[in-house]
Order: sequence, then C-alpha cells, then structure tokens
Amino acid sequence: MLHTKIVDLSKEKIKPENAEEFIASSKFGASIVFYGTVRENNENKKVTGITYDSHDDLVIKSFKEIYNEADQKLNIKEKSVYIEHVKGYVGLGEISIIIAVACPHRSEAYDLSRYIIEEIKKRSPIWKKEHYENKESEWLKGNPIQAN
Amino acid sequence: MDQSRRFTQVPGKYFLIMKIKLELFGASRDLSNKDFLELNLKNKSSIKDLREKIINYVDQKFKGNENLRKIIETSAFCSEDNNIISENYQIDKDQKIGIIPPIGGG
Repeated sequence: MLHTKIVDLSKEKIKPENAEEFIASSKFGASIVFYGTVRENNENKKVTGITYDSHDDLVIKSFKEIYNEADQKLNIKEKSVYIEHVKGYVGLGEISIIIAVACPHRSEAYDLSRYIIEEIKKRSPIWKKEHYENKESEWLKGNPIQAN
Repeated sequence: MDQSRRFTQVPGKYFLIMKIKLELFGASRDLSNKDFLELNLKNKSSIKDLREKIINYVDQKFKGNENLRKIIETSAFCSEDNNIISENYQIDKDQKIGIIPPIGGG
C-alpha cells in the first residue's frame, strides 16, 4: 500500500497525523515515521529557511519506482508506505519530508525507511534554495541525473 | 498555422522551426523571471543542440556566467511524458521540455 504526494505549501500544510493513520494496521508489528526538517546551520552558514522546488510528476514517478524496487532489492513484500514532500518555503525546524513505513518486523521497517530516503536523495528531482541570516540565498549544488 | 513564423531562411535554404517551451526547475530558474523559456530550434535538433542553444542564451543574457553555464552543462532533460531523455533525442515537433539541474532534495 502506497501513498505519495507533493504538498504545495502555498495551498496547504503537511500533516504528520495523516501519515500515522495511513500506515496503522494490525498486520504490521513495526512502524517508523521519518521526518526531514530544516536545520539552522549548513557549511558554517546560518540558515533561516529553505525553498523547495520540485518536478512534481517526475518526483511522484520516482517515489513509485522506489516503492516497487523494495520488493526486489529488499525482498519486502508486505508493507505500507507513506511519502510526502513539500514544495515552497520551509522555516527552521519545519518538516520538508515525511516517510512513514510499516512492516511485519522491525528489521524490514528500518531497512525500508533508510532505503527510501537514500534513493529519494539520489533520484527524485527536488531542489533546495537555502536562505541565510545575511539575507542572501543560493541553490544548493546537487547530483546530476543520468538518462537511462 | 502562421507559415511565415514557422520557417526560417538561411543562405537559400528553408528550415522548419520547432518552438520549445523549456520548463525551468531548481537553479535553472535563475535564467528567467518566468517559469519557462521559449526557444526556437531547427527541426530534428537534438538535446545536445538544445543544450548549446541554452548556453548561447546564457552567454548573451548573463555574460557567460560560469555558474549558470555549469548548471546547463550538467543538467538532464525531461520529455512531456515524464521521461529523462538522452542527448540524441530528436525534437521533431513543438513541445515542452523540462530542464533537470543536479538534484538534492529530501
């Protein structure tokens, strides 16, 4: 079972309670909810917030691919996964991503949660523009995507 | 279709012009105040040609800004049907193409 969404912060807020509700099931004995949040320091610069940009369709496509790959690569068949990423301005301490997973056993849940966030970092077309205390801002350098 | 807008004449030859709406994301948004750039390419141009066209645009509008040039050189491109397309992909109709700079969200 999979839920994916890009949350446009100019229209709505991201709601952590929805994630726990989505993955709740007595079929599963282990649940993990991961939150990515904006921290106040990056490479010795005082950060005041981050603007996230996203190619929504490609991001959702990548989330689905990552979910399906978990079947083969991690051999985790029974699972519930909830992934939401925001776009727009996010202040310090606020949530940029929620990854909630539920599996029958804890080792699978830990592996799956870690796998999803690492793959998103590598493959999902999401960009960050950091804003600093001195009012400057910059797009962070990322990793190029390769054509198949 | 306004045929006069669709063809260009270069030393005695006529070329069909493809109109590309280049959708901007991430660092490439610094190329324009809009969410896109409109570019004209010769029929059957490739992504390689499109990349060169954007770099020429950077050279003209941003005095060859090195950061922007590097972003364009390391970007991927995405078709209307949401596939990352190769350098040899042929552009044979008017279309939207997304530019995908190096990524780093989460």
